[in-house]
Amino acid sequence: MSQSLLLKKTDFSIFFQTLKSLGKFFAPVRVSEQSFSFKEIETEAQIAWEALRTILPPKKFFYPPSETLVEYSGNEIREVKPEMNFQVLFGVHPCDLAGLGIMDTIFEAGPADTHYLQRRKESLIIGLSCMPDKYCFCKSMGTSCATKGYDIFLTDLGDAFFVQVETPRGIESLENCRQIFTSVSETDKDNYKDYWERRDKAFTNGFEPDNLRATMDMEWNNEIWDELGKRCLSCGNCTPVCPTCYCFDLVDIASLNGDSGSRVREWDSCQFVGFAQVAGDYNFRPTPVDRLKFWYRHKLHGFDDPYGFKTCVGCGRCTVSCPAGIDDLVDVVKKLQGQRESRNDSSEAGGENESQIK
Amino acid sequence: MNHKLNEQTTPFMPTRGVIRSIIPMAADNMLFQITVNGSGLPNCLPGQFVQLWVPGVGESPISVCSGHVGSTLELMVRKVGRVTSALFQMQEGDWVGLRGPYGHGFPMNSLEGKDICLIAGGLGVAPIRSVWQYILDHREKYGRVVLIYGMRHSVDLLFRQEFALLHRRRDMDVFIAAEELLGPALPPVSVQLGRVTDMINLADLEGNFEVAVCGPPVMYKYVVAELKKKNIPESKIWLSLERHMKCGIGKCGHCFIGGALTCQAGPVFNLTDLRLLPEVIECA
Ligand SMILES: Cc1cc2nc3c(=O)[nH]c(=O)nc-3n(C[C@H](O)[C@H](O)[C@H](O)COP(=O)(O)OP(=O)(O)OC[C@H]3O[C@@H](n4cnc5c(N)ncnc54)[C@H](O)[C@@H]3O)c2cc1C
Ligand code: SF4
Ligand code: SF4
Ligand code: FES
Repeated sequence: MSQSLLLKKTDFSIFFQTLKSLGKFFAPVRVSEQSFSFKEIETEAQIAWEALRTILPPKKFFYPPSETLVEYSGNEIREVKPEMNFQVLFGVHPCDLAGLGIMDTIFEAGPADTHYLQRRKESLIIGLSCMPDKYCFCKSMGTSCATKGYDIFLTDLGDAFFVQVETPRGIESLENCRQIFTSVSETDKDNYKDYWERRDKAFTNGFEPDNLRATMDMEWNNEIWDELGKRCLSCGNCTPVCPTCYCFDLVDIASLNGDSGSRVREWDSCQFVGFAQVAGDYNFRPTPVDRLKFWYRHKLHGFDDPYGFKTCVGCGRCTVSCPAGIDDLVDVVKKLQGQRESRNDSSEAGGENESQIK
Repeated sequence: MNHKLNEQTTPFMPTRGVIRSIIPMAADNMLFQITVNGSGLPNCLPGQFVQLWVPGVGESPISVCSGHVGSTLELMVRKVGRVTSALFQMQEGDWVGLRGPYGHGFPMNSLEGKDICLIAGGLGVAPIRSVWQYILDHREKYGRVVLIYGMRHSVDLLFRQEFALLHRRRDMDVFIAAEELLGPALPPVSVQLGRVTDMINLADLEGNFEVAVCGPPVMYKYVVAELKKKNIPESKIWLSLERHMKCGIGKCGHCFIGGALTCQAGPVFNLTDLRLLPEVIECA
């Protein structure tokens, strides 16, 4: 059960200093007019409170774009353990917390990925509430309220934070500044509920998620995939920015004389042409159409089996980072759903309206 | 979460194996016998695979091709690219890395008491060999055995000596087919002109047959169609699928098809399960 506390914003500095003393402190920082990034910070003033989606999701802290797993020299093979200091990740929104939850499930499943779990264990995660913009659709994906993946969650009540402490590590981290937290009053609870009600109504983007699984199955041969796939550049931008894309390649980096070297894991993308190729020149997804359709299905239905969840958390990163403007999941789902309705209409009217999906 | 992580080893840690012998089988195809100590490898089951690591070059998924693995593992490798070419440069006494065994192989326990038909195309004979060797080690547990092996050119025949012996056995029917008879004559193995499907047609599959198939992706749909003509139901057909596999343990995403990670749910699937997965072109 979580513990609820109140923190006045005037006391936030003390909270910040306490957390900072625990290890490296990372928070969203503004890096350009439009973009934010999780960076190590020194002062409270560097925190970009207004940040919604950072360029890369926080997965990079647990699953870096490139990491050495194993080294060898001569006859000896040894594991390279992740080298790290304790890290505090501040300002993680519900979509990204859900994303971390999905990464946890995949990397915890046997045989467990010890590198990922080790980094996860050496971290404290502070979630933060947010008001959606026109790209956010976490509500449609059922990930708009964080239920796990954080140690402490802060809801912004104007002049104070409603603080939910979820884990023993969270309680421990507050020990040295316990005096700045007070218990919550009935009014604080009402304010908290009001906030989440207002937020729930603030969504302008999204779709009706009922039957998403069935829609994706039924529309596997929809012509929309050809149309989008023809415009896809196979650049692979959509995958590193996604909080749940975890695919990787394992590569060897050998020393010049060949007696030593390392095995390195690097982020990979299912949008690259060789991703599913096997010997004898068989490629199971040879065209951008095949690969884009695969990605969409994976995000919107993919891990219903074997894990029981979809792998999109509605953060909107792929939409804003796609140079061809085709990764608009909300738009695509609406078209798939809409087309079903219009197809019914047209069959009754006996007409054709394929041109509706544009 | 687990609190003893520091003591746990990454699942990407290979075990060292030493190449004991390298036996050429056909152009660009060699059998590697590798000795490994102290790993889970001796418990391999037919149809499972290992990740074979050539240090400094990379890893490749390779099927275990013998039915019983003591401390020696047999791998039949075809040279097709970087890792396999580097392996072909190695010599007896050199070391390689191994991870595994991985995946679900053929369901040898539930096949007990049944008649078994094994169908291999090309290099697909490697995992199928582990099945026939397993069956011959436990011969009394299985009924009739029909083995069908097809290839493009007769010179590509793998395990020639072993087939010569299999041909002489009275407790199994062996059919070998090549689309083209090429190169030196192949006594004492008799090779017929034709395809795998022609051999299925010739074979007597009356009985309670379960069928295990491994070959190039294009082969499956023709084989399945031919088996249907012989009234073999889909639930009795087991296919081993090849997909790009980097990790072998459900993490890297490369082998994902429809709703399954081939490396863990497969590589051997029952055909009825595959029917439910989009993207399985083999049985389209
Ligand atoms: C379950 C399974 C069992 C296999 N069993 C055998 C076997 O018994 N004997 C055998 O010779 N081959 C087997 N293969 C195929 C073998 O894994 C590939 O031929 C090998 O990985 C090619 O590596 P390479 O570096 O030499 O080729 P590359 O130079 O990397 O590329 C050559 C071709 O191989 C494909 N390829 C590369 N890496 C992989 C990979 N990790 N998985 C699948 N395809 C890949 C490439 O897409 C390309 O088409 C098996 C594959 C699988 C999935
Ligand atoms: S997608 Fe949802 S959780 Fe993520 S930033 Fe937008 S509103 Fe917040
Ligand atoms: S698919 Fe797009 S919107 Fe969904 S979680 Fe990934 S990046 Fe975010
Ligand atoms: S081979 Fe990596 S997930 Fe299957």
